[in-house]
Amino acid sequence: MNIFLRCLLPLALLGAAFAGCGKPSEKSRDGKPRIALVMKSLANEFFQTMERGAREHQAAHANDYDLLANGIKDELDVSRQIDLVEQMIAQRVNAIVIAPADSKALVPVCKKAMDAGIVVINIDNKFDATVLADKKAAIPFVGPDNRKGAKLVGDYLATKLKPGDKVAIIEGVPTAFNGQQRKLGFDDAVKAAGLSLASSQPGNWETTKANQVASALIIEHPDLKAFLCANDSMALGAIAALKAAGKSDQVLVVGYDNISAVQQLIREGKMLATADQHADKLAVFGIEYALQVLRDKSTPADRETPVELITKDNLK
Amino acid sequence: MRNLRAVLFDYLGLFLALAGLIVFFGLSTDHFFTTTTFLTIANQIPDATVLAVGMTLVLILGGIDLSVGSVLALSSAALGVCLIQWKLPLAAAVPACLGVGLLCGLLNGLVTVMWRLPSFIVTLGMLEVARGATYLITQSQTQYLAGQVDVLADTQSLGLSPVVIMALLVVVAAQFILSRSVFGRYIIAIGTNEEAVRLSGVNPKPVKVAVFALCGLLSALSGLMVAARMGSADPNVGIGNELQAIAAAVIGGTSLMGGRGSVINSFIGVLIIAVLGAGLAQIGAQDPTKRVVTGCVIVGAVVLDYYRRRLRNEES
Repeated sequence: MNIFLRCLLPLALLGAAFAGCGKPSEKSRDGKPRIALVMKSLANEFFQTMERGAREHQAAHANDYDLLANGIKDELDVSRQIDLVEQMIAQRVNAIVIAPADSKALVPVCKKAMDAGIVVINIDNKFDATVLADKKAAIPFVGPDNRKGAKLVGDYLATKLKPGDKVAIIEGVPTAFNGQQRKLGFDDAVKAAGLSLASSQPGNWETTKANQVASALIIEHPDLKAFLCANDSMALGAIAALKAAGKSDQVLVVGYDNISAVQQLIREGKMLATADQHADKLAVFGIEYALQVLRDKSTPADRETPVELITKDNLK
Repeated sequence: MRNLRAVLFDYLGLFLALAGLIVFFGLSTDHFFTTTTFLTIANQIPDATVLAVGMTLVLILGGIDLSVGSVLALSSAALGVCLIQWKLPLAAAVPACLGVGLLCGLLNGLVTVMWRLPSFIVTLGMLEVARGATYLITQSQTQYLAGQVDVLADTQSLGLSPVVIMALLVVVAAQFILSRSVFGRYIIAIGTNEEAVRLSGVNPKPVKVAVFALCGLLSALSGLMVAARMGSADPNVGIGNELQAIAAAVIGGTSLMGGRGSVINSFIGVLIIAVLGAGLAQIGAQDPTKRVVTGCVIVGAVVLDYYRRRLRNEES
């Protein structure tokens, strides 16, 4: 697949460079600001929902701004995302709203965009503070606190357990910042409730990988009481593992993201809880913030978006 | 007597490697050496097994199929969409799922044969096409199958699910075809020397197309098995499974140059990878360690295979 990228990218970049030439004015012909949304993996339901939310918002506010939405193939394709930002700079957009695939690697190119006079807003996955300071770039973050959200889910789980009960964490991709934050949040909840952490292993956000890890953990720790999964796809894998082992009613499962596939499971009581970060509004928050900054020429600060605990009781 | 010896040589090395792994994990964790562990592993491997069978046949033919993981995802997505969005009965959804895989395989074969292209490139294209199509038809959303295909993966009555038996039947049938049928002889002959086959008056094209089609069909069967086991169809399922299938086949002594290989040996290759995965997870190894160890075991097994073959050649 990289072969294709290597051949096509230079062409695409060339095209972008030509498109950027001879266009000194930044706004589109009818004077509307142009906002670029640079997303992570379009393979992920969470980002799909985010993009859909942004497109619907644009359709409702078609007179206020134009939207250029782009995403990368998978969450690990960092270099492709850097290329995308460069294309957006060449396109001379007014603002870039970005969900960075890597919290460090994307900072330099975003700084480059800011130097070119583009407003940059960071959503979903927060840029690394040290790198930002090093590059002297002040990029505001609009998004949820994953650690807080994971703690919320973990605390709810703890109310169903007693101190000393064994639990296991299934982590996301170990290098992802939001994955690390969710693990930390789970850790906080486990410590606060005095639970015993039997094991914490990555399931790489994937159903089958999480299933394998969960199956092994059930055998190694027969007295395990709960799985804390860093996303819902992995929770599905853990639930399947419990079912295969005939332990569905002995081990509780919580997830994160509130994807449509788990809602029925929560209603049926097969899964205890998840967290909703309102993916459909996340990009919209970023876009509205960018518009506000463009209008007021203000220096923006970070803004936290809500995370909601989803259980059987509040699921419609 | 000589024949028996040859058979022993064929399987002994691999069995020793497998036994070595089992003993190692048995000694290093508390609960590895239990019936539950082995039943769990058995229930986890049908999909990888079926995938490895298809891959082995293609490799023996002298080709390669990189699209198996994506075709697996596309067919399980087709199953999910038929069942959930179109509300079709299982009797219609399963043939649709298998049909999608067969069609992808058929396309791989036809394009490879008709324009005499390397199957590496053709199936690399299919890898992208099938994955993209999966995201399109599912809108990147995990389809929750609400227990509709659970009967296939039910482990409660026998301890082993029906799909395990299905997978074993596939292994036996494929090995029989390979070593006892005319079609199997043709596969090996084409992999050894395609030109010689042509000169002896046999048209290799239909055989090649049939093998790729079979590989596609087996990928779809594998997709059905994963969906049944997970109770859901995740559009990200099977990423990287092509490499796992190739690894299993190569551990089992299949030549990447074609002409040599055995389905049973590939099955043992699958077992080795599965035992390794389960054992490392039970030890609680971190992901980087897991990858390093798995890589070393793959190369080690192939080196072992080299000595095994040399020994056998000296014998005869």
